[in-house]
Amino acid sequence: MLLLHQLEPWHWAVAGAAIGAITLLLLWVTNQRLGISTGLENLCALAIHPPYLRRGEITGSHRWRLPFLGGLVLGGFLSAETSGGWQPFWDLGVFDAVVGLGPAGKLAWMFAGGLLIGFGTRMAGGCTSGHGIFGIANLERASLESTLCFLATGVLTSALVYGFGALG
Amino acid sequence: MSWLVYLAFGTAFGFVLSRSGAADYDVVQEMFLFESFQLYGIMAVTVGVTAPGLSWLKRRGRTATGAVLKVSPKPRHPGNLLGGAIFGIGWSITGMCPGPIFVNVGEGKLYALGALAGALVGAALFSTLYERLVPALRQPALKIGTGDG
Repeated sequence: MLLLHQLEPWHWAVAGAAIGAITLLLLWVTNQRLGISTGLENLCALAIHPPYLRRGEITGSHRWRLPFLGGLVLGGFLSAETSGGWQPFWDLGVFDAVVGLGPAGKLAWMFAGGLLIGFGTRMAGGCTSGHGIFGIANLERASLESTLCFLATGVLTSALVYGFGALG
Repeated sequence: MSWLVYLAFGTAFGFVLSRSGAADYDVVQEMFLFESFQLYGIMAVTVGVTAPGLSWLKRRGRTATGAVLKVSPKPRHPGNLLGGAIFGIGWSITGMCPGPIFVNVGEGKLYALGALAGALVGAALFSTLYERLVPALRQPALKIGTGDG
């Protein structure tokens, strides 16, 4: 069950097929390799201009990565709006039950995790989409290795926060 | 290609991520705690669909508009491992990988704004420290100038 309006999630085979189809169509129609975390650099490049963010890979991709990221936000909005109405909320499921921080604490927790996501994905050169989906599907060794690393530390971190069986 | 096409692709991707559970804190924790097959199943089917399709598209060598298809593999370097390990901790803490951060903001999950701010500051930190990290991590050499990104 999802935190969003307590929806039942789509079957994994349906969701996986849809994500695969979108990945392939994006490449076939627009000649772009799926990847989200590079877009974090595009957003940063709007505000700061170190040499790393002046490379062509970033300045040349604003035109597609920025509207794509905007679409992700819009897709989330439409998903909420069409399933019971959009409304802001703070529900965090098992986190509320076990860790139990208020809004300010949640923002701080999320900010800390976000720092690791932003720094880590850029050092890794990709995230779940660019490495985990596209890279592995393209049989790239760097992507397989990176994916195994982020799955492993995710498992370890959740085990530390909740302990195995805490959700049972 | 019009920006509206990319907006449409992003919207479709965001909608699927929202309804799949990939952008849900509890479903992500259930994955990491091995209590649900949902996200493992999604990753397996996604790769299972994408890999043969990608192989076919590469053999065909052309996009829908007739352009030469370009698929650039990502460079392999020690940052793949260390950066991946750092990212995984953040994925567990927030219950979000980069795509779902944006999806969750759109859904109205207010705490996702904290994750978005953190991810942007983290990416900005990496960007400004890049030259100092290159020798230590043997990151790919910096290319400034034209690009087709």
